[in-house]
Amino acid sequence: MTKLAYFDPEDVHRPTPDRNWRALALAAIAATAILTVGWEFFWRGKGMTAGDFKNTEALWAEARRKATGDATVIIGSSRIFFGIDLDVWEEASGVRPVQLALEGTSPRIFLKDLAEDPDFKGQVIVGVTVPLFFGTDGGLRAAAIKYHRDETPSQRLDHALSKQLEGIFAFIDEQTRPKRQVAIWPAPLREGMKPRFSPRKLESLKADRNTELWARVATDERYLAEAKQQWLVGTKNNAPPPGPDGKPPAMPDAAIDAVIAEVGANIKKIRARGGDVAFMRLPYDGAYAALEDAAFPRARFWDRLVKETDSVGIAWQDHAALQGHYIVEWSHLEARAAEDYTRAVAPIYYEAMKKKAAENAAR
Amino acid sequence: MVFFAIVVALHHAPLSWRVKKINLLLASLIFYGAWSPPFVLLLLFSTVVDWFAARWIHGATSKARRRAFLLLSLAGNLGLLGYFKYGEFLLENFTHLLNAAGVAYKAPEWNIILPVGISFYTFETLAYTLDIYLRRAAPGKSFLDFALFVTFFPQLVAGPIVRPSQLVPQFAEPKRATRPQFCWGLALIIIGLFEKVVLADSFLAPAADGAFGHKGALAPLDAWTGVLAFSGQIFFDFSGYSTTAIGTALCLGFALPNNFRFPYAAIGFSDFWRRWHISLSTWLRDYLYIPLGGNQKGRLRTYANLMITMLLGGLWHGASWTFVIWGGLHGLYLAVERFLREAMPARDFYKSLWFRVAMALLTYFLVNITWVFFRAEGFSEATLFLASMFAMAPKPDRVLYWNSILPAAIVIAGMVFTHWRMRSTTLESVVEKTPAWLIGAVLTFMLFMLVITQGSDSAFIYFQF
Repeated sequence: MTKLAYFDPEDVHRPTPDRNWRALALAAIAATAILTVGWEFFWRGKGMTAGDFKNTEALWAEARRKATGDATVIIGSSRIFFGIDLDVWEEASGVRPVQLALEGTSPRIFLKDLAEDPDFKGQVIVGVTVPLFFGTDGGLRAAAIKYHRDETPSQRLDHALSKQLEGIFAFIDEQTRPKRQVAIWPAPLREGMKPRFSPRKLESLKADRNTELWARVATDERYLAEAKQQWLVGTKNNAPPPGPDGKPPAMPDAAIDAVIAEVGANIKKIRARGGDVAFMRLPYDGAYAALEDAAFPRARFWDRLVKETDSVGIAWQDHAALQGHYIVEWSHLEARAAEDYTRAVAPIYYEAMKKKAAENAAR
Repeated sequence: MVFFAIVVALHHAPLSWRVKKINLLLASLIFYGAWSPPFVLLLLFSTVVDWFAARWIHGATSKARRRAFLLLSLAGNLGLLGYFKYGEFLLENFTHLLNAAGVAYKAPEWNIILPVGISFYTFETLAYTLDIYLRRAAPGKSFLDFALFVTFFPQLVAGPIVRPSQLVPQFAEPKRATRPQFCWGLALIIIGLFEKVVLADSFLAPAADGAFGHKGALAPLDAWTGVLAFSGQIFFDFSGYSTTAIGTALCLGFALPNNFRFPYAAIGFSDFWRRWHISLSTWLRDYLYIPLGGNQKGRLRTYANLMITMLLGGLWHGASWTFVIWGGLHGLYLAVERFLREAMPARDFYKSLWFRVAMALLTYFLVNITWVFFRAEGFSEATLFLASMFAMAPKPDRVLYWNSILPAAIVIAGMVFTHWRMRSTTLESVVEKTPAWLIGAVLTFMLFMLVITQGSDSAFIYFQF
């Protein structure tokens, strides 16, 4: 091709600055390595550990790919995410469930996703945090489903490489990123603005999303107090504006009916393929219990959900073995308490499912 | 990084130049396929159509045949763009028109995914056939070189929009980076990634997303912080990609052109467009503005040509009227600037520092007005945002925390100051004059920040264009 002269946007010759690049490169790499080691020790000192995986959409998508055939799948929000220990469940039942719960997210979108998947014929354990379950949108991490459907080969490869590094370095965690550190910096509040709802790290994940409450939440009193404060902020920020009587408006019956109808339709699809669905409520206490039970009375929400979908429902309030476990910050079981809880709830679940199957067979 | 390391290793392996080029071509196709494998076929389609169209144009004996083969190339490239990028937009507007005319019509759902980088590579291949048609160049001799030019992975998905004349000749002879070139290429990659991952994503995106994501009126501080943060976010995001692409190519021994030259130090809009997305502005100049007649057909035609060029330049960014308005505003600014330059007599104070600084700040201010249309979801959101900036919106909300405002303010102040200081120089010459310890410290800081930031939250903004 002939060289163009008169309309070339610019000469593409790239000058290289005249420096001792070899020495500069070695110095920069060495200094970065030293700083990185220091950074790693700093975060290990704060309780971070290697092999605590980031709770990313890619990790969720990896688990979602395992939710096929006759797999047992857990969906829900943070209570069941942190509260069921997969190792203990497997010990107790011989079955290792796939953990698909995501914090702050309604399980209804995951139930719909599984119901629409013709390859899924297994059991679904739905963790019900009533305000989230009956919420009007998918919640905090609803985008995970779209990510799973649209995940590109480069994103999968990136995730595979990232997991290798997360197995080595403790500092690779959402909490340690400069952006996150700036976001949680306790800056003064501008006049008229609500306090920011942005909870710090709460969970510790294994590669297969087997998750427990991060140890520091239970051992560091300041950290724990801040976590509780955050729940109050979140509850206040998300509360609907009060009605004419000054009280928060109750959810209309029609809206509850619609949710139960939607859930029932999805359950039917899964049952038509030979699968089944059961509901679980995990324990909560303190300020959360007062707020949640007042705004979402059991008879209007939980009882109707279980009855009208003709499902097994295991509420911690109904079984002595599921009560008295250590709930760290009103909403989540401490790691060892979660193991005990799992040990107690697994046989209750299988017994209830067996009983329900017998009842259905007798009809 | 692993992909790049494998490509560099193969490029430095003792293989023939032809085998190395085939390696680069395959690597580029794998790179593109990593987003969406089926769209590799579109890329190959565009490559093959333009390769043959250009040869047929060159060999055609009549004007009509030349025109017919050019139309084939235009139909192939613009057809791809029209279907994948503008199909939904056209259908929506067609539906609105019918409905306005009283015809009850409901458009079918349009679920077409936009192939990444389609606007970039279609413009590159179009430049090839247009050069041949306009007799500015002869067809290339090697299909391999041409295919590598179209698919060359560093610039494939978000530019710079490289011309055939800039890159194809570089594939003719064996290329391998010297050690200084390789190290400088790595330094450019670090700088580019730092711009994107640290500055754009970590420190500017929270303010820009927080302000533009709010449904409703904003307090002036929030609106101004949002738009200024976006001006930095879009610059660091796009300039970061271009710089990384240039560094990557340099590590392999190839030179790509600059795409940015400290644009927020521009004095006036003709200066701005010589500094912002240079590869697009020169493409539009050479293949649209000049063929339309440029400034050679009278004053009114010049203004009209400027407007047409910038309106289409806006539409290039996306299928939305807000992009058209963005382009239209830039066209208007260019036309007004041209008018003022011709109408106002030269004065000595035009060269004074205070006047130049004032004009640069005025340019930056007016550019920020256009960014509102570029970033807002729609026209009504953009007008509400503008009203918020000038304290004219009812019931404004405060939505940004100091955690977002302060980092954005610091980075924006640093960016504008740096652009002004670097206005008349280049990065290379500054690096050459700076003490070695300071260069080492800056590179270490950037590399360390990249390590602890742990990657990006989002794709490059320009991937969607």
